[in-house]
Amino acid sequence: MKLGVLSADRPLVWMLPLILMLVAFTIVPLFYNIWLSFHEYAPFKRQLVYVGMENWKAMFGDSRMWESFGITMFYFVVVLSIELVLGMAIAMLLDEDEFGFGLLRSVLTLTLVVPPAIVGMMYLLIEDPEFGVLTYVLSLFGILDKSTPILATASTALWGVMLADVWQWTPFMVLIFLAGLRSLPPEPYEAAMLDGASAWMTFRRITLPLMSKVIAVAVLIRGIDIFRMFDYVFVMTSGGPGTSTYTLSLYSWQQTFSFIKWGYGATLSLFALFVIIVIANLFIWAAKVRW
Amino acid sequence: MVVRSRSSRLLRTFAGWAVVALFAFPLYYWLTVAFKDGNEIFNWPPKVFSFTPTLKNFEEVFGISLGFGFGEQREVLPGGGNWRMGPRLWDSIVIAVLSTFLAVTIATLASYALSRMNFRGRHHFVSWVLSTRMMPPVAVAIPVFFIYKDLKLLDTYTGVILIHALMNLPLAVLLMKSFFDDIPREIDESAMVDGASRWLIFRRIVLPMVKGGIAATAVLCFIFSWTEFLFVLTLTQTGLKTVPVVSSTFVTSTGTAWGNMAALGAAAMIPAFIFILLVQKHLVRGLTLGSVKQ
Repeated sequence: MKLGVLSADRPLVWMLPLILMLVAFTIVPLFYNIWLSFHEYAPFKRQLVYVGMENWKAMFGDSRMWESFGITMFYFVVVLSIELVLGMAIAMLLDEDEFGFGLLRSVLTLTLVVPPAIVGMMYLLIEDPEFGVLTYVLSLFGILDKSTPILATASTALWGVMLADVWQWTPFMVLIFLAGLRSLPPEPYEAAMLDGASAWMTFRRITLPLMSKVIAVAVLIRGIDIFRMFDYVFVMTSGGPGTSTYTLSLYSWQQTFSFIKWGYGATLSLFALFVIIVIANLFIWAAKVRW
Repeated sequence: MVVRSRSSRLLRTFAGWAVVALFAFPLYYWLTVAFKDGNEIFNWPPKVFSFTPTLKNFEEVFGISLGFGFGEQREVLPGGGNWRMGPRLWDSIVIAVLSTFLAVTIATLASYALSRMNFRGRHHFVSWVLSTRMMPPVAVAIPVFFIYKDLKLLDTYTGVILIHALMNLPLAVLLMKSFFDDIPREIDESAMVDGASRWLIFRRIVLPMVKGGIAATAVLCFIFSWTEFLFVLTLTQTGLKTVPVVSSTFVTSTGTAWGNMAALGAAAMIPAFIFILLVQKHLVRGLTLGSVKQ
């Protein structure tokens, strides 16, 4: 209290450690990354050399970058939609006090704590062409032949990766929506029932509007994580077969650490950062999400 | 609320159990693999319920002889069949515990001020914290790799602990702020009228009231550090590795050691499972960064 600058009445004193951490690990790396994007590693000189705008020009003309951008966006839209719809459906199914439903809700939390890299391995095993359970089930229904490699076929590999994501994170949506559903007031539903509204009408006109804030938050948080997804593709396909599962995150990581194109990898990661910041802030503004 | 017929209730109960069973199945199957001998893993059709359980995979992974129970006891081979994952489990624990401690400490202090004090730019500051949550890890990992290289922090506990703490800060700050916001400001104000200092109010009055919140925040930070992949993959080489990253080394040129991988994975899931069940009450609030309350 005696030292004016360090007085506990000053907010800055409380927030200083946080500010230092955020500056050291987000602002500094951001500027370092921008600096890096104007340089490139020269293997013969064994050092970084200034290349001006070359990396940025190369990136916008790089068809593989646009391809991986397309894959990222496709993955983003498909996985987010499936998790959203499936999550809402399961949440409404479990929003009941039947015997054992409390236990079921606890079981669903379990998928959330498995390391995504290990989930990737799990689905690598389940989708294995020679002894995978999923391959077996699909072959029983005649959808797939044994020995058809789901993850090594260009047309199905991305769907195989999506399955792991949907399995792990649909329960995330379910739990959030359940919390939302359980806190809804009963009166509008009673009124709707008296008016003889159909189940679909009740859902469209009452549940959805009342749940809009909860849905927006879930979509925002999940959307950010889906966009920056790295673990599943790294473990399951490494971007293959060919380039069919290259996401933006994986592409920039590999350019930096596998192909020693430090500057170009940094440029790609900045592009990914830019895209997600724009999308997320547009969404926050449009959906009026507030913290 | 809505009166339903007996048969529709039964159908609903059945559907609920069926859906959850579908989600639980991969975990169950992974567990059976951890207890299966090599040949049974590669069986076609896959063995789901009937197999001979063995502890061999666990013994090989941790380089110990459990020697009780199932089937014939094997000698654990040095090298080849022995992965010695004990130290990697230790790395995971050290990193998760210390980074959680760091993140929760920093976040609790900052979020107290964000919840209690009025100052210019408070909302902008919260937005800034939230926006750091949006950064793709790869956009942080690339520059931090080069910075760590210069600072000789690659491959060190300190380096990984710092980056994991950073990764969890947005979550911890926003979540702790929501717990502080739940406590009426009047409590602070009346204590202040009585002449107590800010620090004393924080330590003696407010902090004990958010104990549950701190525990929930700590559990989530622990789990996210425990399961994190990209930063550890990028910022470590040989000195230390956490469980998720070291799992990928079971994929070798001569084939994948599925049994061993499943055993390690199963062992790594247990602490996270227990922790998450302990804080179920605050789980949704945590997953939504403090914005949806149960």
